[in-house]
Amino acid sequence: MMASPVVRLTLRGVLARKFRILLTILAVVSGVAFVSGAFILTDSVKGAINNLFVELRGEVDLEIRTKIAFGDSARAERDPVDVSLMKDIAALDGVRLVEANLLRQATIIKSDGEPLQTSGPAFGISWTGPDGLDGRTLLEGVVPTKSGEVAIDKASAKRAGYVLGDKVTLVGPIGKGEFTLVGLTGTGSTSGGGGASVSAFDPITANEFLGADNKADSIYVGITVDASRSEVQQAIEEVLPSGYEVITGEQSAQETAGAINEIIDIFGKVLLGFAAISLFVSAFLIFNTFAIIVSQRLRELALLRAVGASTRQIHLMIIGEGLVVGIIATGLGLVGGLGVAKGITFAFNAAGAAFPAADLLISSRTVILSIVIGIGVTVAAAIVPALRAGRIPPVAAMRPELGFSALQRSKRLIVGIATLISGIALFSVGLFVQPGGTVGTLGGSAIGAVLLFLGVASLSTTIAAPVSQVISRILPFPLRPMTNSVPGRLASRNAQRTPRRTASTASALMVGLALVSMVSVVASSVKKSFTDQLKASVTADFFVTNLSFQGLPVAFGERLAELPELGSVSPFRATVALVNGEEKQIGAVKPEMGDLVDIDMQKGSIDSLADGDILLYTDPARDLNVDVGDTVDITWQNGKESTLTVGGIYADSSVAGNWLIGLDTLAEVSSAPPVDFFIGADIAEGVSIEDARAAVEKVAADFPSAEVQDQAEFQKSQEDQLNQLLAIVYGLLIFAIFIAILGIANTMALSVFERTREFGLLRAVGMSRRHLKRSVRWEAIIVSVFGATLGIVVGIPLGIAVAIALPDSFVTATVVPINTIVTILIASIVVGIFAAIFPARRAAKLDILDAIATH
Amino acid sequence: MTDVSTVAAAGAINASKIYGKDDSEVRALDDVTVDFALGQFTAIMGPSGSGKSTLMHCLAGLDALTSGRVLIGDTDLAQLDDKKLTDLRREKVGFIFQAYNLIPTLSALENITLPMDLGGVKPDQEWLDTVIDKMNLRNRLSHRPSELSGGQQQRVAVARALASRPQIIFADEPTGNLDSKTGAEILAFMKHAVTDLHQTIVMVTHDPVAAAYADRVIFLADGKVVDEVDNPTSELVLDRMKRLGS
Repeated sequence: MMASPVVRLTLRGVLARKFRILLTILAVVSGVAFVSGAFILTDSVKGAINNLFVELRGEVDLEIRTKIAFGDSARAERDPVDVSLMKDIAALDGVRLVEANLLRQATIIKSDGEPLQTSGPAFGISWTGPDGLDGRTLLEGVVPTKSGEVAIDKASAKRAGYVLGDKVTLVGPIGKGEFTLVGLTGTGSTSGGGGASVSAFDPITANEFLGADNKADSIYVGITVDASRSEVQQAIEEVLPSGYEVITGEQSAQETAGAINEIIDIFGKVLLGFAAISLFVSAFLIFNTFAIIVSQRLRELALLRAVGASTRQIHLMIIGEGLVVGIIATGLGLVGGLGVAKGITFAFNAAGAAFPAADLLISSRTVILSIVIGIGVTVAAAIVPALRAGRIPPVAAMRPELGFSALQRSKRLIVGIATLISGIALFSVGLFVQPGGTVGTLGGSAIGAVLLFLGVASLSTTIAAPVSQVISRILPFPLRPMTNSVPGRLASRNAQRTPRRTASTASALMVGLALVSMVSVVASSVKKSFTDQLKASVTADFFVTNLSFQGLPVAFGERLAELPELGSVSPFRATVALVNGEEKQIGAVKPEMGDLVDIDMQKGSIDSLADGDILLYTDPARDLNVDVGDTVDITWQNGKESTLTVGGIYADSSVAGNWLIGLDTLAEVSSAPPVDFFIGADIAEGVSIEDARAAVEKVAADFPSAEVQDQAEFQKSQEDQLNQLLAIVYGLLIFAIFIAILGIANTMALSVFERTREFGLLRAVGMSRRHLKRSVRWEAIIVSVFGATLGIVVGIPLGIAVAIALPDSFVTATVVPINTIVTILIASIVVGIFAAIFPARRAAKLDILDAIATH
Repeated sequence: MTDVSTVAAAGAINASKIYGKDDSEVRALDDVTVDFALGQFTAIMGPSGSGKSTLMHCLAGLDALTSGRVLIGDTDLAQLDDKKLTDLRREKVGFIFQAYNLIPTLSALENITLPMDLGGVKPDQEWLDTVIDKMNLRNRLSHRPSELSGGQQQRVAVARALASRPQIIFADEPTGNLDSKTGAEILAFMKHAVTDLHQTIVMVTHDPVAAAYADRVIFLADGKVVDEVDNPTSELVLDRMKRLGS
């Protein structure tokens, strides 16, 4: 069979309407670019990071470390190894070189006394130079070999403004030190440390300055060229004390790279999530464009039916047009994906992330998924218009009015309600029943939300006309209501006369703004809950944190505790352990924490922490069915086991978490180097807040990475972090809103094209160009305000539902942010004006005679 | 005309078409029985609202009757589903409309062969050449409709209707949008199609001059066949029309 007439009609149809579908293509392109960009970026960065670690461990044949009892290998807190082991290992046959691997926190202080800010951690390491087992390269200068010498990665040295020979101050886990910069290092092909700063010392200096106490994180082993690695590995295993293990260098590199890759994957998934939202919004635009084009081609399609085109051929033709649009857009989108990946890399590097230099990788999976998604979305969005086109009766070729009734026939109301209800049901099940944990919650709720949006979009057709009328009456347009002027009345009637078009155009905006409303409700609720909790439970006068997430050197907290100006001082540490076979995070504090945070003790006493007891939050106490005096069995990550007595039960877990032990208990069971997540302190009696602050700041001067905050500052800094996160979320949602604006512009342009004769007539009977423009613009405003209203009406309940579903330890209050809602409404008017610029200009440019003569 | 075939190309038997219900009921066709002989050029005339367009739509399978039967050849249209009807329109029926006859994105030749292309049938090249030459379109074949005059567009439409050698061609006011000179030219082409190429054409018109090109004129009023004239002249048709109007 020849498919040629359908193919020909399809291609000609696209060509004849190329400008009308340009915006549609643009919308799909941006969605596909987002998807492929996320894949390209994560693939490329992961590839580069894998290479980096393979290079770093290039000479390490074997690595000796302590075993862990459970948990993720790369992120585990291992007990350190004893460096005295190295002698025995070095004596074994086939061992060429043995080195201690030591990596601790060491902050570079710039010449102005401020710490060097890095996007990654600040490391201090033990280094024997490029001839050793560590794969770091020496770019300039010499290898540090004695006390008082340091080599810093070239990128960090440059950012801090240091050159070879400069005196550099560094802050390690036990205090400050001054060093001469003798060398500049690189990692793999880069001059940096992948966003981290790396200060390298000779092994003896490193041991002292980094407070390692003759311990190391692990021991690297290099073997002789003629030795068999497996034999050496076996020989080492035989001499190792219990609790130790020996692995290959590759395994070690893979574990470390794998941990970082997981973070990159999460980043990629977030990007993909937003790409999905953009594509969903694009689908509305595609659907709308095709629906409008079908109704504009009513007579042509009816003629085809009259001369013998089958319904199927009409379906194929319209879907085929979707296919062509999808293919073009996907091709462009893949190219755009390279741009997106480059852009994000550039933005992050500008912010100091120092992504390893990577060639952009386009894997076949990226290409295949982009094609499936880009073409799939476009074709799926064209299906309904295609089905409608197939319903056009042939007689409409002679009597078009008969065709329009066919186009309008639909079971919209029933389908819409069914979709909406199943959407709400799925969303709620995902959120409240949480089948399959986080994945089930996200998946179920996301599908539910998609159905919900589709249901609302479908039902909004029913209310589009009356709501448009109300909007045009209410909107306070310059001086008088819109409906008092001819352009205003025309705009209002035009918005009402094609409710389906108005509704689906508005729906695209609805999706973006519903998500914005939802996120803002959740964020406001989190913020409010957090502030409430802080006010209710935290009584500490000062908080000291380190915003680089690396924690604070314990020496800092110890020195604070000695200050006479301060009363109670307690650090907060954390570890993981198996309780009843499940991995739990366990906090470790001094009993003084009780003066700083009100954990709402129900039974027992916080002082029991000093006796080696454990405190439980009410929920786990109930789950384990234990009371004060009972015992809890715990397995620590290094394999040690303890049976701890329950010394108390508390009811506020907002700061403390679910489990608390004493610092001494932690030190007994784990010899992993401790860090303080934060330190709380209050002022000694009779000391003024100024004096206390001055004393704290004086100690903090020796630990420049520490951030001293009073309660208000602490609260503000936590809120700022939340706001930063929100800004990123809003920024990504703006993409979807931008596509919705394209959609409004597109619909208006198509409507203007359709109403050419009408506009000609209006101009002929005396309407000015300005009034014509105004009527187009106002119609766009009505559509976008309608979309914003729908978005708010849908988004706020969704946000409230999420806020209710979030655990009480996280969200206790539900807040609807009125400011945000007002902002959205005002912004939607601006969106309408913006979207109408081109269509209004086009309408005003029409030549009267041409317009009337147009068939 | 002497050799009028007795074989019917199409016909309606007790055809009724009712729009609306109860009070607003409109009888567009009221028990119409009529035959259209093969090889004949028939005009259907009548004032606005007489049902002439409805009759043609029903005859052509574009619209369904409320009661009665329509036959194309010996096929009863009521027995056909949408797919069979589509096939019938493509193979057995040709159409010429008043306006919007052509697909704007296809060339003249592509428009002419469209019904056969849609059916996946190869056009009979000899016949196609005959039709193209008869319609004087040889040097216009690669043009798009927008590059053709109104008369040329209508000639392409006639050629398309003829190209698949349908059993019967229906024309709905084919000259309604044309000036009288071009209109006369089109009607002459249609007449040639019947006399020289032995085609069957049924044409709805309200123009007595156009009707005079037909072999036979059927007059409709209020949904009924009220009169019939063979070998008409425009004066004769005008006269009958006046009588109908009074």
